[in-house]
Amino acid sequence: MNHIDEFCVPHEYISPMEKHLRRVLRNWVDTYVMPNRRLYDEDWKDHHLLEPAFDRLMAGLGFQKAMFPPECGGWGLGKSDYLFRAAYAISEEIGRGDTGIAVAFGVTFWPIFTILIDPYENMRLAKELAPLYCNTDKAFFAANAMTEPQGGADIENMELLKGKTIRTTARLDGDEWVINGHKLWPTNSGGTGKLFGVPCTTKPGSDDPNDFAFIFVPAETPGVTQSSPYEKAGMAADKNGDIWFEDVRVPSWYRAHGPGTDFIAFYQLISLGQVASIAFLTGAMMNLYERLYEFVSTRTYRNKPLKEHDAVAAVIGRIAGDIDICRILGYEAAMIGDRRRMPYGDPITSERTVGRIRNIKDFVSDRAVENFGTAMDILGAYGADRDWDIEKHWRDIKIVQLWMGGKQLCQMEAARYYFNCKTL
Amino acid sequence: MKKDVDELILYPREWVDETSSRVHEVVHRWAQKEIIEDRLAYTHHYETQFDEKRKSLSLTIGLQKLTLPEEYGGGGWNTMQHVPGVVTIVSEIARADAAIGVISAMTYSIFGLIASERNRKDALTKALAPMFCGNNLATPSVMLPGAGMTGEDTPLFMGRALPVSIEPAAGGYRLMGGAMRPLACGHMADLYCVACTDKDGESCVAFVPAEAEGIIKGPAVKTTGLNACRNATISFDGVRIPEEYVLRDPNMLATLHIWINLYLGAVSVGSSLNFFEILRDWAESRTIKGGTPMKENPLCASVLADVAEEIALSRLLLYNMAHVFVHSERFGAVEDKGMFTFAQMIGSRIQKSALLAINRGMELMGSAGYAKEWHVEKHWRDVKTIQSALCGVGAGVPVKMDIARFFFDCKEV
Repeated sequence: MNHIDEFCVPHEYISPMEKHLRRVLRNWVDTYVMPNRRLYDEDWKDHHLLEPAFDRLMAGLGFQKAMFPPECGGWGLGKSDYLFRAAYAISEEIGRGDTGIAVAFGVTFWPIFTILIDPYENMRLAKELAPLYCNTDKAFFAANAMTEPQGGADIENMELLKGKTIRTTARLDGDEWVINGHKLWPTNSGGTGKLFGVPCTTKPGSDDPNDFAFIFVPAETPGVTQSSPYEKAGMAADKNGDIWFEDVRVPSWYRAHGPGTDFIAFYQLISLGQVASIAFLTGAMMNLYERLYEFVSTRTYRNKPLKEHDAVAAVIGRIAGDIDICRILGYEAAMIGDRRRMPYGDPITSERTVGRIRNIKDFVSDRAVENFGTAMDILGAYGADRDWDIEKHWRDIKIVQLWMGGKQLCQMEAARYYFNCKTL
Repeated sequence: MKKDVDELILYPREWVDETSSRVHEVVHRWAQKEIIEDRLAYTHHYETQFDEKRKSLSLTIGLQKLTLPEEYGGGGWNTMQHVPGVVTIVSEIARADAAIGVISAMTYSIFGLIASERNRKDALTKALAPMFCGNNLATPSVMLPGAGMTGEDTPLFMGRALPVSIEPAAGGYRLMGGAMRPLACGHMADLYCVACTDKDGESCVAFVPAEAEGIIKGPAVKTTGLNACRNATISFDGVRIPEEYVLRDPNMLATLHIWINLYLGAVSVGSSLNFFEILRDWAESRTIKGGTPMKENPLCASVLADVAEEIALSRLLLYNMAHVFVHSERFGAVEDKGMFTFAQMIGSRIQKSALLAINRGMELMGSAGYAKEWHVEKHWRDVKTIQSALCGVGAGVPVKMDIARFFFDCKEV
């Protein structure tokens, strides 16, 4: 094997556009990301280096239009039969360069997925929001403001809690929603995001899905306050902070759908987010392979290239094998999502889909965390060096394992599905 | 009332002498007052505060000279009976900051090698003592064998490459070669402790003051953790050192590995102990599923149990390693391959356990474990940096080969 593109690709799964998407993104990563990424950690607050890369990707190449329908000026990917697989390919290519960029880019679509994926479409809102994404020469960022101080991963635990623990409230006052609450950690907060999707409750303490509301809030709306970004172990390209909503008023039709439907439309995001997460990880692991290949070919143990030493070969062979397996699983996870319209598929909000995709994400996360750690140890005294890039991925990808409810929620969702657990 | 971590995570206190216990209390107060209780300020002003905190520990309290013989101005803890006490102190330092712990560990390892009652090299100790017993901070940097380069036939120590060689020069030796990456502090060191070979390919250990001419220092590298221990690639171009600055005994390099494994093990255990404290607070105060305390959820409790198990086991292993080392006459001579093998084996296991504990605990802390504000991620990065550096090259393989060689008489691996 000579190249990362020789890792397993289920050709019968991939979309006709995948080859082209990958070629464009590979070129963008190699031109805009690879030369600068070792400096990104110091750029975490200002994004001076990151901004041109984002602008080129999202506005210049037009990727931020991708999910909107053509009538809104977009590419129509949101309605595509290949939505999950195309998202997987895009996320993987960007993740190869920098998983922080991948998540900041991907999450920009997250709130609008609630209104762009059939059968839960809201064309009035789509047309209202589309110019923000489609008529600009600058990168546009949006965020899903989900996590709350008291609840941690509870918001992602929709199957069990059904929004019961949400404290951010939405009250209808005439033709406006009035929102009050405090959210933490959204990707693309910390001053970056210009549009927030905000899960709220219209009746605090209720676990009735009808009382769950998903409302769009432009960041400039009076009453919205963002903190400066948090300093983190990695993921410099993704800013996170606090967002406070104090008597924030938005038009009533900024609600995604309405009672009951908001809940289901929002629940779709879990599987989309998990498939993208898997892609970030496999993309990073493909770059791990590239960097590790160079090290084990040029450095020695017992005066033999590392890769020619049987015991070291067993370790690196396992790493490459895991990448292959994780990629197969990643495509399968994407395919589970794209089978949603097929007679033998399941809705992406079904327990079966959520459980299986979460299970794959949990597995791939564990393999990625372990393989990056092992790869750093193979580099030994050089393992912690920024110059070898592996340590950056190691720091970055840990949060992928932790987010969206983390490992334990993945385990619970899997158990619920596979063992019909009722009380977890 | 919340128990002190030393009461929860047991260690054999009877192996730590009374004097050491008293010094431990002093260091504990330093750790709490100087760093742990105001960690956010320490994190925000790390570049300036690092040296200040080091000074208060190393110079004001006097730990920099702790293990040097009294007759050279040291603290006199150069006896083997103090080793478990030093382990305790290094752990306590690392509970506050692993980077200060690593510098302490390298210092104590070097003087363990040359000044301990078991193996005194008086001329060398006397020559180096002023650097470590004076009024300034002294930073050592230990350079162990590791990766070789393809196409080069490099002398080996247990399979690991030794790219630096010595050759006799008038009144001493000349060092050549390198492009070696030290364990830490290569860019800021006052003294390099260098694994090297003589013309016959026998391993030796050389001590090179940083002001010696011919040291080629690469730029400071950015690293995952131990950021205050600025590292760099180091080469030697005809660097001259006096004769007594080279330890020609081939057992010395193996013995250096023993000391380093022991004291860097203490660093990672100390770091993981503080992680335990932070995680315990988190698990007590955090609720999930709309009100259940996190620690009362069976799945979370099982993860907490894994964390406690790994840290407790690694701490017991650490003291056992120290005990075997101190009482080596009951277990086998200290220079024996046996002690080297046990140190490598236990040392690598301690690093794995410490890192596994932090990795698993972070799963429960979610984003908070990832934010600098909670101080968990620093422990995670620091311990990982130590673990990878100690591997030298090839992940766990060289240590596995050491173990296989010792236990199964393998000849070729």
